[in-house]
Amino acid sequence: MDAPSLIEDIRFGFGPLAGRAPGPGYDADRLMAQLTAPDAPADQWATPGLAERWPLIEAYTADRKAKVHKTNPSAGTLRLAEIEAQDLQVWLSRPAVALCGFRERLANLWANRITVAIQGAALRPLVPPFRDEAIRPHITGRLADMLKATLWHPAMQLFLTQVQSVGPNSRQGKKRNKGLNENLAREFLELHTMGRGYTQTDVTELAKLLAGMKHDAEGPRVEDARQEPGEKLILGQTYQTGAAEIDRLVEDVAHRPETAEATAFYLARHFIADEPPADLVATMARAYLDHDTALTPVYRVMLTHPAARASERAKLRSPHEYVVASLRLGGLTGTEAGLRGFRKDGMKLEDRMKKLGQPIYEAPSPEGWPETAAEWLSPPMVSARLDWAIDMGRAIGTNGADPRELADFALGDLASPMLRRAVAGAEQKWEGVTVLLSSPDFSRR
Amino acid sequence: MDLLLSRRAFLIGCSAAASPLVTPVTFAQAKGENRLVVIVLRGAMDGLDVVRPTGDLGFAALRPTLAAGQGPALNDFFTLHPAAEPLMPLWRAGELGFAHATATPYRQGRSHFVGQDALENGTDALDGTPTQAHDGWLNRALGLIPGAHAETGVSVGQQRLLLLEGATPTDHWFPVDESPLSPQGLQLIAALNEADPLFAAPFAQAQRLADTADGMTGGVPRGKGQYRQLGTYVAQRLLGPSRIASFSFGGWDMHKDQARAMAGQLGGLSDAIVALKEGLGAAWGTTLVLGITEFGRTARENGTGGTDHGTGGLAILAGGALRGGQVFGKWPGLGESALFESRDLMPTTDVRSYPAWALQALFGVSGADLETRVFPGLDLDRDPGLVL
Repeated sequence: MDAPSLIEDIRFGFGPLAGRAPGPGYDADRLMAQLTAPDAPADQWATPGLAERWPLIEAYTADRKAKVHKTNPSAGTLRLAEIEAQDLQVWLSRPAVALCGFRERLANLWANRITVAIQGAALRPLVPPFRDEAIRPHITGRLADMLKATLWHPAMQLFLTQVQSVGPNSRQGKKRNKGLNENLAREFLELHTMGRGYTQTDVTELAKLLAGMKHDAEGPRVEDARQEPGEKLILGQTYQTGAAEIDRLVEDVAHRPETAEATAFYLARHFIADEPPADLVATMARAYLDHDTALTPVYRVMLTHPAARASERAKLRSPHEYVVASLRLGGLTGTEAGLRGFRKDGMKLEDRMKKLGQPIYEAPSPEGWPETAAEWLSPPMVSARLDWAIDMGRAIGTNGADPRELADFALGDLASPMLRRAVAGAEQKWEGVTVLLSSPDFSRR
Repeated sequence: MDLLLSRRAFLIGCSAAASPLVTPVTFAQAKGENRLVVIVLRGAMDGLDVVRPTGDLGFAALRPTLAAGQGPALNDFFTLHPAAEPLMPLWRAGELGFAHATATPYRQGRSHFVGQDALENGTDALDGTPTQAHDGWLNRALGLIPGAHAETGVSVGQQRLLLLEGATPTDHWFPVDESPLSPQGLQLIAALNEADPLFAAPFAQAQRLADTADGMTGGVPRGKGQYRQLGTYVAQRLLGPSRIASFSFGGWDMHKDQARAMAGQLGGLSDAIVALKEGLGAAWGTTLVLGITEFGRTARENGTGGTDHGTGGLAILAGGALRGGQVFGKWPGLGESALFESRDLMPTTDVRSYPAWALQALFGVSGADLETRVFPGLDLDRDPGLVL
């Protein structure tokens, strides 16, 4: 596959990869090809899926119940811990080596648009499979299918506390005086799809439709004893009970114009500008509706808009994108030990990401991580970026890398004359690399 | 800014501002010792669980499991959640109070994110749309306080806080690591950051964080003692040049297992308030602490031992400046017809009134300014005598 140009890689990927010469100009087709091209280096970082995890989760749950998960853990618990440690590395290492940066960015974007975050031990083994199995297969498919996969995923069921929601008139509801939990119903309408144009009644009725959903080792289903009998009137449409009706609701909501607009806006704001051009958002929304919620045509509209190739970089890299971009520049995966500037036993990226304001898989709310620059520029976060630049400067600058060449490789013509002068003016090579990595130029995309 | 001089410059500025004898502005201000702490309780705190209306006949039926556990009685109508017991000495000393059945004007949607923006922006729009400038009400208020400077208002924490964002310069504080850069390397970096409109201000403030790092105890608050540490940090800021501080306290969204979650949250919040009092020492006497949240939660417990997003909620008040020992507000009742949309506690007081009365009493912001510029559309009504 052809290497992307600098602006393609910076705006739509994670920046240039050490050792790979960038392509010329700007080519939307070259970016589109990344959506389906093979990416062996990235795929090496895949971790086991849900099917392999279920028995391990059961072993861990049993150990916990017997209170031996720390003192005398079973083989399953140990294996699960091993996988969870790999999961944490994958978030940074996979994009750090990826050839198809655009696809990796999209995977992160959708996992943020439809967020599940680790809250407690039960969610820890479920969040990475959510990204791999509910998000990734659908980033070149239809949003309606992604919404079904994410709504039904056990991580989502747990994260938005759907697991125990009981229809008030269901068998269980009547017997045990239990009831609804409308958390998932609300966030599905507010955050995953429409964002506006629905009422509290729609939320409550949707909660009734969703009551009884369950997904565990036995697979996804609606539990008869918890499902609310009778018709539900949601957004003017009538639904009965059961899994097929839930999927029909998802299709209907995915095809709403509000969902089209909110989805287009989210994509354009992520890649193009905090306040994206209105004409771009409108054209993207139209492509979405014209293609039965398929996402690839929407990406194409965005990539061929003039704003996609502009040399001014209006967006700020999130801490995750920032760390990955600097790893790529240094040809590192983030799992190295013994690097100068870091502790002897490794880079401790889990702690680092906390300091930078983006702890791994722990978005602060169902809204996910912020998508606008100001949110990532609190003084403590700026300070943490500088600390990272200092340590990375030492790690890759003390091995003889010339900071001027590195600046040229990282930014090419996009590097301002002021940045070039500053990088060249540093007393030591490592400080020159730090100047580059801590510059606003390097944080922008 | 000359970075080599910044530390010295800060120290001079700091000592001058702290001494009423050498700064005429501070000296001239009769109220220069008054302090305000605003805690943004994110996630929608369940007011009916924190301050339980056990005297209302409808309460027990609405909360079959959540009403369990006998907390300390506040008066013959309200009972405090058992996990907030550490705050009872403050209540008895008249340094703790609550405002019940209160909410922002936001009524359409029950969205955390719209609700929090509305809470911090101070808008009176029913749909939560922020005011034109999309700034924070505390920032606008700071611009109206005579003698206020860039360090008068400070947000403490890792994230930015909309409440203090806006045209008035404010400070931001959080502990950071020491830097091993050479002075020249730092100058190069500073020059690049200062030339970028997005980075200039936060970078300058980040440098000041580094300058003030020494002499501070501890590091980034984390783990069990983190709220105590946070309270201590805020107190230290307020003993310096700052008079108004704000921080976020998240984790109140409890759709299930609320009994367990609430105990942890209230323990942490109690820690933070007690640490503020201890850290402020004598200055606690002229301090008001106000904890506000985006909305309340459903009057009825939901089907999973939790509560869903609601409307009327609770504000927490503390401090030596407070006329405490009372629950402010008008109780609407919990009968089906008394509830908002038959599901939520009916708000009877605009939550913006409480900070408005506090800003008037503590910092002399005028009623007219409060009702138009700080909180557009607010009807200030009669001050319930919040501040001593």
